[in-house]
Amino acid sequence: MNRWREFHPAKAMFVAGMCGLLLLWIFDPAQSGIFPPCPFRYLTGWYCPGCGSLRALHQLLHGNIEAAWAMNPLALVFLPFIAYGLLSEVVKYWRGRGLPQPVLSGASIQALCAVIILFGIARNLPLHPLNLLAPGAMLHP
Amino acid sequence: MFCPQCGASNADGSAVCVQCGRNLQPGVPPPTPLPATGVVIPPGTPGVASGMPVPNYLVFAILTTVLCCLPSGIAAIVYAAQVNTKLQMGDIAGAQAASKNAKLWCWVSFGVGLAAIGGWFLLMMLGILGSFVNQH
Repeated sequence: MNRWREFHPAKAMFVAGMCGLLLLWIFDPAQSGIFPPCPFRYLTGWYCPGCGSLRALHQLLHGNIEAAWAMNPLALVFLPFIAYGLLSEVVKYWRGRGLPQPVLSGASIQALCAVIILFGIARNLPLHPLNLLAPGAMLHP
Repeated sequence: MFCPQCGASNADGSAVCVQCGRNLQPGVPPPTPLPATGVVIPPGTPGVASGMPVPNYLVFAILTTVLCCLPSGIAAIVYAAQVNTKLQMGDIAGAQAASKNAKLWCWVSFGVGLAAIGGWFLLMMLGILGSFVNQH
């Protein structure tokens, strides 16, 4: 079937994503230097809302849910939704329409955005319950 | 062959259009209203093909924010919110403009993330090369 050989950006992304997951399964971003540091943290020294998500994914791929949660709780909460959304894109490519999805109101997306930003701020604050949100902090309280 | 609905180029014999999802097999009626990502425009809206969704790219916006760690990802989420707000108000043209911006900022985040990975690998290679030079 020529559909397999035809180039499509979605296909390239899918292959790249799978390769990324394989690399993440083999190498631990906490120990190996092959993964680039977060550009935001590299430039500013602060944690961004996504910091620790690669380490969380590595832990999750090895079944350590607790360690994944400690690395980035927000990423772990978002992961099932993101995975469903990405699966929908794959299905959409295949059969022309995606999986059923709820229609979010503009206000709820803005609230989601606020949660991401507030999480990013909270994990940088030196206040006790909030600083546990920094990557890995829950593992060494 | 070219899709009769959106004009995208598809491989001969494709079942559906890669861009809009229209059925390309002759004799088979096209699938009507697509329950796809984003908000489906109610039928009868002037100037827009009925049932055509305006994608808000929210999944990619969040993904690039979390994985590429960039303020541009936040911009993409803000535009994704605008897409749905404007659709709720019935502003289809505004929603389509916001949709374009959401897509643009998703690609910007993705591009910067990719550049960061490329730059990191370059530094790593230079580091390895440097250690070889020092040894000899």
